[in-house]
Amino acid sequence: MTAALEVRGLHKAYGKVHALAGVDLIVERGQMVGFLGSNGAGKTTTMRSVIGLTSVDQGSVQWNGHPIRIEDRRNIGYMPQERGLYARMMVHEHIAYFGRLAGLESATAATRAHEWAERVNLADRKDDMIQELSTGNQQRVQLAVALVHEPELLILDEPFAGLDPVAVAMLSSVMTEQVERGVSVVFSSHQLELVQDLTQDVTIIAGGRTLASGKVDELRRRAPHRLLTLQWAGPAPDWVPADASVLESADHESRFHVDASVEPAALIAEAARAGTLTSVSFEPPGLEDVFIELVSQ
Amino acid sequence: MRRRQIKEVALREVRTRGRSKGYRAITGILLLLVVAAPIGISFVPAPSDDLREITIGIGVDVVDGFEDQLTVLADGTFELTTVDFNDTDDETVDGQLSAGDLDVAVQAPHTLIWDATEDSSISSLITAALQQSEAVRRAEDLGLNPGDLGLVFAPIDVEQQFVNDSSATEDVRAGVAFFGLMLAFLLPQIFGQFAMMSVVEEKSTRVVEVLLSQIRPQTLLAGKVLGLTVLALVQLAIIIVGLIASLLVTRVVDIPASVWQFVPILGLSVLGGLLIYMTLFALLGSLISRQEDQAQVMLPVFAPLFLGYFVGQTAVFGNAESLLVKILTWFPLTAPMLLPVRVSRDTIGTGEVALSLGLLALSSYLVFRLASRVYEFTLLRTGSRVGWGELIRLSRGSVADQAG
Repeated sequence: MTAALEVRGLHKAYGKVHALAGVDLIVERGQMVGFLGSNGAGKTTTMRSVIGLTSVDQGSVQWNGHPIRIEDRRNIGYMPQERGLYARMMVHEHIAYFGRLAGLESATAATRAHEWAERVNLADRKDDMIQELSTGNQQRVQLAVALVHEPELLILDEPFAGLDPVAVAMLSSVMTEQVERGVSVVFSSHQLELVQDLTQDVTIIAGGRTLASGKVDELRRRAPHRLLTLQWAGPAPDWVPADASVLESADHESRFHVDASVEPAALIAEAARAGTLTSVSFEPPGLEDVFIELVSQ
Repeated sequence: MRRRQIKEVALREVRTRGRSKGYRAITGILLLLVVAAPIGISFVPAPSDDLREITIGIGVDVVDGFEDQLTVLADGTFELTTVDFNDTDDETVDGQLSAGDLDVAVQAPHTLIWDATEDSSISSLITAALQQSEAVRRAEDLGLNPGDLGLVFAPIDVEQQFVNDSSATEDVRAGVAFFGLMLAFLLPQIFGQFAMMSVVEEKSTRVVEVLLSQIRPQTLLAGKVLGLTVLALVQLAIIIVGLIASLLVTRVVDIPASVWQFVPILGLSVLGGLLIYMTLFALLGSLISRQEDQAQVMLPVFAPLFLGYFVGQTAVFGNAESLLVKILTWFPLTAPMLLPVRVSRDTIGTGEVALSLGLLALSSYLVFRLASRVYEFTLLRTGSRVGWGELIRLSRGSVADQAG
């Protein structure tokens, strides 16, 4: 099946600085992909390249199997990292304006603007000026702007940054709804637990290169170590598995990183000889650990 | 689609800028000024209709009937006072002439004595009076009836017609020229700065990033310039209508028919000025990221604006046909100011007007093309402003985009 968005081998240099040095990113139709990377890894530059805001030196951006064109970009909803809104426009007016720019008829844009204001919980503020809204509420407007023209691809650069838990929940549910409608979603975030809650598909980049891409569970399984968590009946003993690193050792709990090739049954048996165990967990590391390990290589 | 986007951007500018306090205040102030000026002038007393007072000394033995003829001829033109010099010596007469107590002294038989310079109108008056008096005396010497002679020399009414406007109309023309110059100077400046503020606002709030995900930079620029041009032309129309209404109500001046030909030229000049200057101001706005940096980049655009204004002033109140005025009428950045002045002063032909407007239109288009190219690269630039050197390289299309 042809991917909705296929980014291959993007390179971009600013003088001697290589912002992108081989970024690949593939998003299928109706798929949500977490685009992960440290600050300065090249996430924003990649997203801007897809939108057409940044030209690239090398590489390709394909949309539904062909090189992306200006008109294709109208099928993209974009929410930049640094929010951009007109301070002296009313909420519904603002959303409708961007709808019309994306090609909606005036009446449709107006209707959608009111619907989206309601969907992002700003129905009672729709006649307020943007400058009268809090940062979080402005972010809701920004989301509505990205979605008003019902795009086929949604690109969200750090959408959760600075949001309160209620807004995070609202945004997460909107993103999930869009995916259910068949919209492809790419979003970047440093809140990896949130990413893991939202999607199984991630692409991790560092230094302008794609390091890993795939299902979160698969990446976790491919990790070279496992997380061993032991609950003790009494105080945690001094026991440490061979070739393991201690992550935490509290009163009744010990946590270790052990090599992935270790046989868990033998390890647990050895632990049981050191003290009385009440519970044992042997699992691949979380996304955060996988991410840290990949980007620190 | 692109036209629709231009229209949308233009409408947004019209709505947001049109309801801004700045736009309404400037429109109100300009309207107040043009409406108040004729009203104010109407309260100023008109120049006095009193006749010019002249004092003429008449010496002994000047031809009989001279004083009567002088009185008849001066009637309606001068407030005449005569002084009899029969008992006055020459030194006293000279003293009175020097002191200005007398305008002229007439001595027999036909001599006029002035202080230093001749006053041609008084001289003509006295000469005519002397000739008529002398004619009467000679007629009597020849035995003719002076009454018949009076019929022969009865004055006729001479109708006066002028190919060119009178001095009063010239004043109106100068006033119109000044009005046109001010509008052609102020409107591109005001709306150019609106354009610049709009661009900087979009850059500083980063809304430009969202905009450019949907529309091309040149579409954004075209919509902005179009929207602000509409607002400026609305303001211009309000000002012109206000001025005309005020002139018609106060009847301060009679508006000569030729002045009406000036209005379309003024409109086209202001339109050209708006297009070229707003594009340039928007371009300069794209070089900076903060409103407070505007002053750093405005000089190159203000320089030709002020040059046009100051040379325009000399053309309004002085020589409107100098070489400098002619050259600046063809130069697109000063033409919007010089063209209305020269048209209103009637010192430019139709061909030259067409040439100047044509050059202005062509330049506006080329400046827009150039600005579009630069705009594409500078809009997403943040931080320190784009330098002049880089601007030149960008205009040649030789610099890649930069990270934000």
